[in-house]
Amino acid sequence: MIGMGGKIISWTIVRVPPAYFAAQAPYPVALVELESGVRICAQVVDYGEDQLRIGQHVVTTLRKTIESAPEGVIPYGIKVKPI
Amino acid sequence: MNISIIGAATTKFGELWGISPRTLAKQAVEGALADAKIDSADIQALFVGNMLSGMLGGQEHLGAFFAEELVLHVPAFKVEGACASGALALHNAVNSVLSGQYETVAVLGVEKMTDHKPEDVARALMGAGSEAERLSGATFPGLYALLARVHMEKFGTKEEEMAAVAVKNHYHASLNPNAQFRTELTVEKIMRSSKIADPLKLLDCSPISDGASAVIISKRRSGKPIRIAASSVATDTLGLAERKSLLELQATQVAAKVAYERAGVTAGDIQVAEVHDCFTIAEILAMEDLGFYEKGKAAFAIANGETTLGTNKKTVVNPSGGLKGCGHPVGATGIKQVVELVEQLRGTAKKRQVDGARVGLAQNVGGSGATAVVHILTSQ
Repeated sequence: MIGMGGKIISWTIVRVPPAYFAAQAPYPVALVELESGVRICAQVVDYGEDQLRIGQHVVTTLRKTIESAPEGVIPYGIKVKPI
Repeated sequence: MNISIIGAATTKFGELWGISPRTLAKQAVEGALADAKIDSADIQALFVGNMLSGMLGGQEHLGAFFAEELVLHVPAFKVEGACASGALALHNAVNSVLSGQYETVAVLGVEKMTDHKPEDVARALMGAGSEAERLSGATFPGLYALLARVHMEKFGTKEEEMAAVAVKNHYHASLNPNAQFRTELTVEKIMRSSKIADPLKLLDCSPISDGASAVIISKRRSGKPIRIAASSVATDTLGLAERKSLLELQATQVAAKVAYERAGVTAGDIQVAEVHDCFTIAEILAMEDLGFYEKGKAAFAIANGETTLGTNKKTVVNPSGGLKGCGHPVGATGIKQVVELVEQLRGTAKKRQVDGARVGLAQNVGGSGATAVVHILTSQ
């Protein structure tokens, strides 16, 4: 699931975060169509403002998803970054 | 199908901090019983539509909970389908009467959301979407923003046209004593409101609300019955990433097709409709998916006033104020839509009355379109 290429088919910037996502807000979320044809929903990271656009090429990467409890497991998940 | 709504009632919708869900439910059900001119002893089953009482209030088992609260010693069921819970509860109630097992059934939609922190409510509402969406932090405004962006890109839908939906629904709500918001809006005010999930702004989004609505359905005719001509449900993928198309809610299209066939009508025969405007873009999608307008054509028409209360309108949409203006206590909305149609078809909608309303349609959506329920009602 990591290092797979795709392109943004839609995107938004979540400015009012739900519980557990406050530290990251505002953050972009995109629907990405991978080269395989499969689509995923993922946050966009390491982006420039002009890279949040339909058609932007991205690659999947592994990042921390939410803040964990002090002694809890650190949750990681798939995010995408523009290339 | 020979089932009628014989009683209908709704509470005010809004930030009702001083009113408990028990009281809201009693108000709605007792109101519906009085409207039907029947006694609670005539009720043979109770269906309850609700989404969040477990996650936010720790209370599950709502069938039993409200049967006790309403002193109805009858079979009782909670039905959940996110924001479509209310209409799903009605669909199940209709099926229970069709089965022949019950003759007269009460349906309650109730939700209490405003007592919690917004970030906790947002998190709970994300239960209506997919796990991948939750893990990416995609809130419900975020998911509908994703739909809005592709609609804007493909059809040139403008943010001002989306805003016009909220202007219309606030105008209608200003005529509805039960609505959460009574003040009118302008496109300018909406465009200036803060961004929640680009391109959706605060005033593109329906509010967090408390409220309850109830109907009594029966094979018997009593009071001023309104016939249920169709009740249909369709499902689609939970998450947007798995949808075939982002330009439409297929579940709405499928449910509507079945409903129109059952009722023997088309979109052109509908004088009044209550559709699911959880966000302004959702009403635009609904008007297209329900067949009132071709794909890409609804936004302009709505902004042009074609569905606003007034003379010579083919179809007036969301005379209650919709979710945006009247409020959106999640489990109650589907039932409130039907209560509004009942009043319209009886001719008792007062300042909101759509002239000549004979056939009404209600569309209730769960999540970002994973469930859609369509009801068609006709005056006898």
